Amino acid sequence: MAEDGALLEITDLQVAFHGPDGRTTHAVDGVDLSVTPGRTLGIVGESGSGKSVTSLAVMGLLPKGTEITGRIGFEGRDLLKESARRLRDLRGDRMAMIFQEPMTSLNPAYTIGDQISEAILRHRSVGRREARARAIEMLRKVRIPEPEARFQEYPHQLSGGMRQRAMIAMALACDPQLLIADEPTTALDVTIQAQILELMRRLREETRAAIILITHDLGVVAEVCDEVAVMYAGQIVERAAVQDLFAFPQHPYTVGLLGALPRFDAEQGELAVISGSVPDMSRRPTGCRFRSRCPFRIERCEEMPPLIPVENGRLTRCWRAPLQRLVA
Amino acid sequence: MFTLIGRRLVQLVPTLFLVSVLIFSLQHLLPGDPALVMAGEEATPEVVEQIRKRYNLDKPLPVQYVHWIGGVLQGDLGESMRLRLPVGQLILQKLPVTLQLAFMAMAIALLIGIPAGVISAVKRGTATDHAVNVFALAGISTPNFWLGIMLILLFAVKLGWLPASGYVSPFVDVQRSLATTILPAIVLGTAIAGVIMRHMRSAMLQALDSDYVRTARAKGLHERTVVWKHAVRNAITPVITLGALEFGTLLSGAVLTEQIFSIPGFGKLIVDAVFNRDYAVVQGVVLITAATYILMNLLADLGYILANPRLRT
Repeated sequence: MAEDGALLEITDLQVAFHGPDGRTTHAVDGVDLSVTPGRTLGIVGESGSGKSVTSLAVMGLLPKGTEITGRIGFEGRDLLKESARRLRDLRGDRMAMIFQEPMTSLNPAYTIGDQISEAILRHRSVGRREARARAIEMLRKVRIPEPEARFQEYPHQLSGGMRQRAMIAMALACDPQLLIADEPTTALDVTIQAQILELMRRLREETRAAIILITHDLGVVAEVCDEVAVMYAGQIVERAAVQDLFAFPQHPYTVGLLGALPRFDAEQGELAVISGSVPDMSRRPTGCRFRSRCPFRIERCEEMPPLIPVENGRLTRCWRAPLQRLVA
Repeated sequence: MFTLIGRRLVQLVPTLFLVSVLIFSLQHLLPGDPALVMAGEEATPEVVEQIRKRYNLDKPLPVQYVHWIGGVLQGDLGESMRLRLPVGQLILQKLPVTLQLAFMAMAIALLIGIPAGVISAVKRGTATDHAVNVFALAGISTPNFWLGIMLILLFAVKLGWLPASGYVSPFVDVQRSLATTILPAIVLGTAIAGVIMRHMRSAMLQALDSDYVRTARAKGLHERTVVWKHAVRNAITPVITLGALEFGTLLSGAVLTEQIFSIPGFGKLIVDAVFNRDYAVVQGVVLITAATYILMNLLADLGYILANPRLRT
């Protein structure tokens, strides 16, 4: 599904952490992804699936000593080959990130305005006054009322939703080409969630930035994403356009996830769950990683399936694809 | 914020009252009769009796206490039986010495402790971190008297760079004043530097692991901005409290260090007073020390508020 004109193109990304006990955890194992400007890619998976690690690898924010291989192509360069200094210049300027918990992600000791201006001063050759004007403009853009007053306020003086807006303003202050949002709405109330998602949608239209939205919430994916990559145990197990994924999931794990998605039009009853748990990644299981939890498993699943193309340019990591006949 | 200060000032009153009662009663548990000490071995019972009368030592303890505290409330801390001088005057004489020493020691402690803590947190697990920790541990566990004697041996006896003892006021000669106080300040400062370094290190480790530091890095900030602006600002708050408390301790006089270097500060004053059963002086010094300590606590809280905007509103 590697399209022409991709802004970010990840090829065979492998991330391994070496624990103090000598154990190695393969958090990301052979991930291929690409995003084009103006599109939103959702990465879905449960905690520990490697979705956050993938995004931190792109940003160059993984701790020292992490083993990263593969290629992260961004604007024609391989980020994994760039110097720390060059990556710092890109971060906050060409690519930016917003995080799950806006309260702890903002520095409690500095004002909102100071923290936004800081990013502008770092990447643009402007004076304090211009940086301030730009920061206030950004606060207005993310629909924070009375931006001049908010500029001087500290994070604790803002509500959760306002804080996340301020985070978004900070991330977008230098017009990045790529915005990575790691669970941006998880810590917020449902109504605030909807507002933030709407804001992100609108900002994408205005800026034409590419967005990677990391979430475990398929409802959020359905709201804002164009394409989806479903991750399981460090691998992508399915990639599809968002409508296709919801209409006909092609991987048993996605089927399970969709089954676990509460819907208003569904019959009342128990919430569906996927039984079992994610394999221990420090032991790097062989074969299909989902097979111990899979209702459709066959003998061949002892062998690791590749990403198999199915209709519409979709990919799924399952020997039994296409799944329609099994699910229906 | 102002209500907080007001509340703390009000709390000061009962605390000081309790302290005054404690000092007064504990001190009278000390064996020895001040009147006998004063009168000397050859004195007749009449003379001793006369001294007792003069200093109200013949009255019951509660009466003596009321007498003393009444004076204190009017700013009169009593009179030193040994030196025949008002206690207030003695304290005013010694306080600048102790203050100077305390400020110098604190400056040394902060200048060493804070950067050392930051560096060892940033370089955690490396040889630098281990080295800094060893030095901190050495600073904390080296007895002051031993370090003091060693420094005197090295700088005064062997090298002859600095005087071994004595004190010169900075108002008389700044250079000589620094020369006489630098060694005791180093002795006191390095011990506190170790404690401050340990606290700074653990606060920094926590700060460096925080979400806002990750945000700062995601903005592309230089690592030194991330460390010194974003992390240190948050990590320094607990260290402010610690520093103020340590400063309070320094003000109460470094008894041993002042003895070794013959510095005429609070420590020396109180030791001499205890040995001579000079009740009024002991009571006065301890009371002032306690009050200073409580005030330092208050200042620490204020510093905390200044460093932490969440407490300001």
